[in-house]
Amino acid sequence: MSQAASEAGTASLLERAKGLLRRRGILIVLVLLAWIALGAVLKGVNTLALPTSENTPFTSVLREAAASIRGNRTESPAFVYFFNPIRAFVESFIELIRAVISLPSGDDIIPAVGWLGVVAIIGFVVFATSTWRTSLLAMGMLLLCGVLGMWTFTMDTLAMTLGAVVLSLAIGLPLGVWAGLSDRVLAFLRPGLDLAQILPTLVYLAPLALFFLIGTAAATIATMIYSIPIAIRITSHAIRSLNAGPIEAATSMGSTRWQLLTKVQLPMAKRTIALGVNQTMMAALSFVVIAALIGAPGLGKPVVEALIIRDVGDGVVAGLAVVFLAIMLDRATTAAVVRTGNFVHESGSARIRRRVGLGAAFTGAMVAVVLSRYELWAAVFPEQLIIGESVSSATSAAAEWITTNLYFLTTGFREVVTVGFLNPLESLLSNTPWYVTIIAISLIGALIGGRKAAAIALVLLGLIVLTGLWNDTMVTLAQVLIATVIVMLVGVVVGVLVGRSPRVERIMKPVLDAGQTLPAFVYLVPVLALFGPTRFAAIACGFFYAAPIVVRVVADGVRDVPSSMVEAATAAGSTKMQIITKVQLPASKRSLMLGANQGLIFVLAVVVIGGFVGAGGLGYLVIVGQSKPELQGKSLAAGLAILLLGVVLDRMAQAGAERRREQGSA
Amino acid sequence: MTASVLAPAEGDVAQNSAISVRSLWKVFGPKADTVAGSPAADLSRSELLATTGCVAAVRDVSFDVAPGEVFVVMGLSGSGKSTLVRCLTRLIEPTSGSVLLAGEDVLKASPARLRELRRTSFSMVFQHFGLLPHRKVIDNIAYSLEVNGVKRDARYRRANEVIELVGLDGYANHYPEQLSGGMQQRVGLARALAVDPQVMFLDEPFSALDPLIRRDMQAEVIRLHRDLGKTMVFITHDLSEAMKLGDRIAIMRDGAVVQMGTPEELVANPADDYVTDFIRDIPKSHVLTVRAIARPLRPEEDSTGPEIDVTTIIRAATPVIIGAGSPVKVMEAGALVGVVTSDDVLRLIGTDGGDSQ
Repeated sequence: MSQAASEAGTASLLERAKGLLRRRGILIVLVLLAWIALGAVLKGVNTLALPTSENTPFTSVLREAAASIRGNRTESPAFVYFFNPIRAFVESFIELIRAVISLPSGDDIIPAVGWLGVVAIIGFVVFATSTWRTSLLAMGMLLLCGVLGMWTFTMDTLAMTLGAVVLSLAIGLPLGVWAGLSDRVLAFLRPGLDLAQILPTLVYLAPLALFFLIGTAAATIATMIYSIPIAIRITSHAIRSLNAGPIEAATSMGSTRWQLLTKVQLPMAKRTIALGVNQTMMAALSFVVIAALIGAPGLGKPVVEALIIRDVGDGVVAGLAVVFLAIMLDRATTAAVVRTGNFVHESGSARIRRRVGLGAAFTGAMVAVVLSRYELWAAVFPEQLIIGESVSSATSAAAEWITTNLYFLTTGFREVVTVGFLNPLESLLSNTPWYVTIIAISLIGALIGGRKAAAIALVLLGLIVLTGLWNDTMVTLAQVLIATVIVMLVGVVVGVLVGRSPRVERIMKPVLDAGQTLPAFVYLVPVLALFGPTRFAAIACGFFYAAPIVVRVVADGVRDVPSSMVEAATAAGSTKMQIITKVQLPASKRSLMLGANQGLIFVLAVVVIGGFVGAGGLGYLVIVGQSKPELQGKSLAAGLAILLLGVVLDRMAQAGAERRREQGSA
Repeated sequence: MTASVLAPAEGDVAQNSAISVRSLWKVFGPKADTVAGSPAADLSRSELLATTGCVAAVRDVSFDVAPGEVFVVMGLSGSGKSTLVRCLTRLIEPTSGSVLLAGEDVLKASPARLRELRRTSFSMVFQHFGLLPHRKVIDNIAYSLEVNGVKRDARYRRANEVIELVGLDGYANHYPEQLSGGMQQRVGLARALAVDPQVMFLDEPFSALDPLIRRDMQAEVIRLHRDLGKTMVFITHDLSEAMKLGDRIAIMRDGAVVQMGTPEELVANPADDYVTDFIRDIPKSHVLTVRAIARPLRPEEDSTGPEIDVTTIIRAATPVIIGAGSPVKVMEAGALVGVVTSDDVLRLIGTDGGDSQ
């Protein structure tokens, strides 16, 4: 074929593809217009709206089931031989740790080890696993928690987190190794692992509280269910991504499978597995805070209480303690990861110096522990040092000042988004007859992601109708969509900046790191202070929670665009804007789709928590069921609806991404 | 001379071979075990793929390696040479055939026996070294001994011996990533020598190294082979490396051996165009002996020239031939084979470099 002919062929192909895209765009607009028109005509018809206090047949069935489960706790064999023993074991394990650092032990009025002892032990452990610098930071962070007056709460959260992490790793690491070695095991676990990635945290709570009673055990088990998949995923990945060369060599030298695992694969994977421990720990901390909703002791409690009475100052104090604890755990484990990967020969004198340092630190820690058992000032955090109340009142005053003086900024922005975008979208989704909405969404799904996406949307949305919570789901969906659009707009702009400029990246990295380690719950407090108990507060919270991951994914995508492409475009005389819009963004389309998918899932996870601060929707139903037994059925149904909504959003985004990829390669 | 071009016949198992391979097949694909021995075995690569969906990475390979011999398997990438060497140690399980190591069929060994063989009887050197990054040099070298249950003192003693042998003195407590590529492959060699194996398999051990380092390492292998006399099966895609190291060379293409023989035999009598193409750039005078150009003495020529042995490589004989005023006599066991003059050498060199014959 001559070159001209082939060029003509390519051009006509391009034309056709463009035409197809344009046609698809027009079709989507047409569907939207039809949806809006039908919505206007049939407004308020068949919306399936349901007052909070009312049950549907389905939620009634769930409520009856829940009641019978509750009634059977002492008799049913499933409880006597399965749930109750697990609960007893987990609870006693956590109480054991709490007895050491947070609960009064035995006849004493103080825990076995006082604050000084705990700070010293943690300082020693961090020093032994990483560096003295990190150790100082860790001790500083703990002391700050004490200074905020949150010592006992912090210790409870620490005990819960450590306990849950130990139990999670005890299950997750072996399973992860197994899944890393065996394709069959991985294939068996994969659906569960995938589901766990998109399951919003709030969904775990109600069912677990039902089976394990509200309290420490249910909270710990819920935390484990959240963090075990992370441990499995990263461990399995660690084993699978190993360089094959050394493994083949070790096999050729006659290793047994066990020798191969213990002498070659595990040592080589150690660093990634340590990273998995870090991730597991951060996930557990984040969940333990939220699990205050089902009775977990610790810092989540004052946060929840502050949210209920809308006391911004107290909420911020507790939230800060969570932040400090998160920084401590993250830094300590990250530093340990760095050390783990260090295969460099240590000189003799350095080793001796380190041994001496460790010995001294250990002695110091032991002295501190003994002191904290016999001296009151070392046992109970000294009142004189606590400034929690002044921080609280100062924060409240600041929040007050912002809401009165910067009214136009906070409330103004809120109203623009709420009136301009949220209300019309929510009305379209929830005030249109349900069948119209389902058909419209499925059609859009078909246009974006193909027949399969449409079928999934149709079936799962139909199931949501069956739960009886269609209307609440649409309220939540409206918030999720608005928050995702905002997070994508900001995320792409910031992500491009971060991806293009190493300087911006340096500035943003600590922010992104911090953002990714903070528990979602913490964002609620300041957002509540700024925007009040509204739907917009939930949207803002979702935005803050999802922004770091979206920025990171987009930045990675932009950075991974081959520099030769950018060079060629520059050589062809493109402006900076043209390079961004015509080269870097199109070339990182996959990352953008991935970012949108992650953004959706993260936003959903937090927006439903926003139900707690007046955003309504499914999240509110989940939470309200915790305190009202007659609504427990609805709470469970709401959890199910959140799950279904998450799967719909995830599948549609994935299908869209896949379809783009196919078109890109065709 | 032509006899060695052909593969040894079926059933003719040389009892005194270090390694004896017979009809070895490795077929990837559905029902891989039905290909060997069926009519499909004679199909070409693409025909086989089209009719059965299978790829024969190793097809019907047979050869013997004598004790102390360096046997080179050479071929381009995708010719099946790496698969072949992995089949010999069962890192890849062959589809059919037999591999006799000192008379014992490796392919019939139980998993436990196979491990024992790997720990004591043969060892392997890898292209990308395959060192364990989390272990010091000495623990890398002692690994085979360690998994075989040798006590720490004994295995360190042995490891230190081979460390000295390969010139790694002073590096015992380094980690692999602190060493250069050449030094890392010395660790690889030391590790393979540590168990004092009967046979060493070297899979393109120097392909990942710089040319200068590669030359050093080739010299090192030649030295080790001279000192220790190990039987080696050496895989390479580099013909000059093959010529330099190999007592005999097997050339592979599409999984089959197309020619097998000494370097001289290959250069003198390439079996087909493929081999001819391969050896095109090899200077014949570096490989052939004076036998190849010896001719009868012409009546008018002087018969008082110096004598050289028939096995002398032409390049090595050149100074003598040029220096002599009369034809040089090529002798074999005291008998005259023929004579050689500088004209004959020039004529040979003139045909080097491609479009000859």
